Amino acid sequence: MESLEQIKARAERAVSGAQIAIVPNPGPAQQSSLLIDNEHAFAVARFLRDDPTLRLDFCSNVTGVDWLDRVVKKTVKMKRLVDGEEKEVDETTEEKIPGYLEAVYHLYSMTHKHGPVIIRIRTRDRGDGARLPSLTTIWRSAEFQEREIFDLYGVRFDGHPDLRRILMWDEFVDYPMRKDYREPDDYEWEPTPHDEVLEKAKRHYTQRPELDGAEKITAGGDALNR
Amino acid sequence: MTEPIDERLRSELQQHGVWVTSMQELYNWGRKNSIWPLQFGLACCAIEMIATAASRYDIARFGGEIFRPSPRQADLMIVAGTVTKKMAPQIVRLYNQMADPKYVIAMGACAISGGPFKQGYNVLKGIDRYIPVDVYIPGCPPRPEALLHAFMELQRKIDSQKLSGADKAEHLKPEQPSEFPVPLFGEHDLESSANPGVFHPPEIERA
Amino acid sequence: MTPNPYLFIVIFVGVALVFPLIPLALAWLWRRFFQPPKPGPDKTSIYECGVESVGDAHIQFHSQYYLYAIIFLVFDVEAIFLVPFAVAFTGLPIGAFIAILVFLLLLVEGLVWAWGKGCLDWEH
Repeated sequence: MESLEQIKARAERAVSGAQIAIVPNPGPAQQSSLLIDNEHAFAVARFLRDDPTLRLDFCSNVTGVDWLDRVVKKTVKMKRLVDGEEKEVDETTEEKIPGYLEAVYHLYSMTHKHGPVIIRIRTRDRGDGARLPSLTTIWRSAEFQEREIFDLYGVRFDGHPDLRRILMWDEFVDYPMRKDYREPDDYEWEPTPHDEVLEKAKRHYTQRPELDGAEKITAGGDALNR
Repeated sequence: MTEPIDERLRSELQQHGVWVTSMQELYNWGRKNSIWPLQFGLACCAIEMIATAASRYDIARFGGEIFRPSPRQADLMIVAGTVTKKMAPQIVRLYNQMADPKYVIAMGACAISGGPFKQGYNVLKGIDRYIPVDVYIPGCPPRPEALLHAFMELQRKIDSQKLSGADKAEHLKPEQPSEFPVPLFGEHDLESSANPGVFHPPEIERA
Repeated sequence: MTPNPYLFIVIFVGVALVFPLIPLALAWLWRRFFQPPKPGPDKTSIYECGVESVGDAHIQFHSQYYLYAIIFLVFDVEAIFLVPFAVAFTGLPIGAFIAILVFLLLLVEGLVWAWGKGCLDWEH
């Protein structure tokens, strides 16, 4: 199979105006992916499916990713005049990256038996702009999985034939896989709480009533020495 | 209803070929040996339940082989598996539609408390939040032997139920409800998240 | 003196009536003295696998289902008559052969009619 750079170059040639970026994955999987702009995602996806040498006709998996607002700190060494002397000073710049939601498609080819090619599309923001073009008409298998992303992340897919909640009930309003989701507090007692569960449990502990001081006597105190 | 028969007199009579019993014993004997479970499974525990009903473990030895596909004919509800919040109203409604007397076995960690999914957003933290449970079986999933043991525990419980008096069986008391409110799908959670008349979680005091 | 031969029937009728009535009466007595009935909106509602029932359980089938009745006749009844015919085929006179051909013709006519009406199409 071609490298991602070759696919990117050919796709940009085939679909005029498409902006494709390669998102590197430095992890052990080494699965880098193609980030496609929303306006041309449909045309690029059709190119990936119909191109005779690629023919990525099988969409095995569609998943969502939630990226919160984050701040990236960059430290650059700069020369600057301090007290009339030139010194090297570390300059830190902060870049605010607004949050967005992402849909990731894993594509394989049944005819050529190669893959996966991973493509990503990103929403504008995490609020009203959480809209993406639906690729269900290109890969039919994406229908339920896009519904799942809509259900759990709240991404609206334009052009989806049947965009309803699939796992949660229709009356549900939250998006439970978003990172800022807070589940309802239907806590009940647990014998061994830990981590976040412990924090949650502590809010429900009733305070031990103050006794007459007898509870403060310990085995190592005066009681044994006497 | 009257004084229980003297055990010595009973065994003596039995030696002479006279078998004495009481209405209560006859009633409970009949009930405990023909417990018909409701035929439904929710998750992986259901596979163990099916194995229990099949020939190797053979729940028929205890009179429970007739899995009924209708709640009208079932005495026992085996909640076998994870109860999601989306499924919980259906379970409670099925329980409500069962005819009295009815019993519930919560099979596996999920049915007891939510199990490994307890801190999730979509799993009910135990079916005992909405309906009264008679026997709990821990395990993930429990072995068929554990289900048989729970079944025998239930038989023991049925056998000890009284027909009259202040401590008679729940289903014989007119004031005891036979159905429990079905939770509704809310905007963030099921409404209500537990039935306080049924659910009594342990309270612990910690400093 | 021999009893009336119809006496047994009278006895049978009596047993047939009493035999189911005894458990029913016992159940009624049991309910009357021990177990209070507890009906409720959920308990008496229609059983729909736990889902809230929508509409009535008694629905009327549309008369247009006659198409299915005709296709049932063509494929099912035809087979029932054809199998014994095929088994006895070698020993049959020419008249029987013509008779079954007429029978087949009638059914094939129904099939052609249903085909022409379009009820064999998958997407209808």
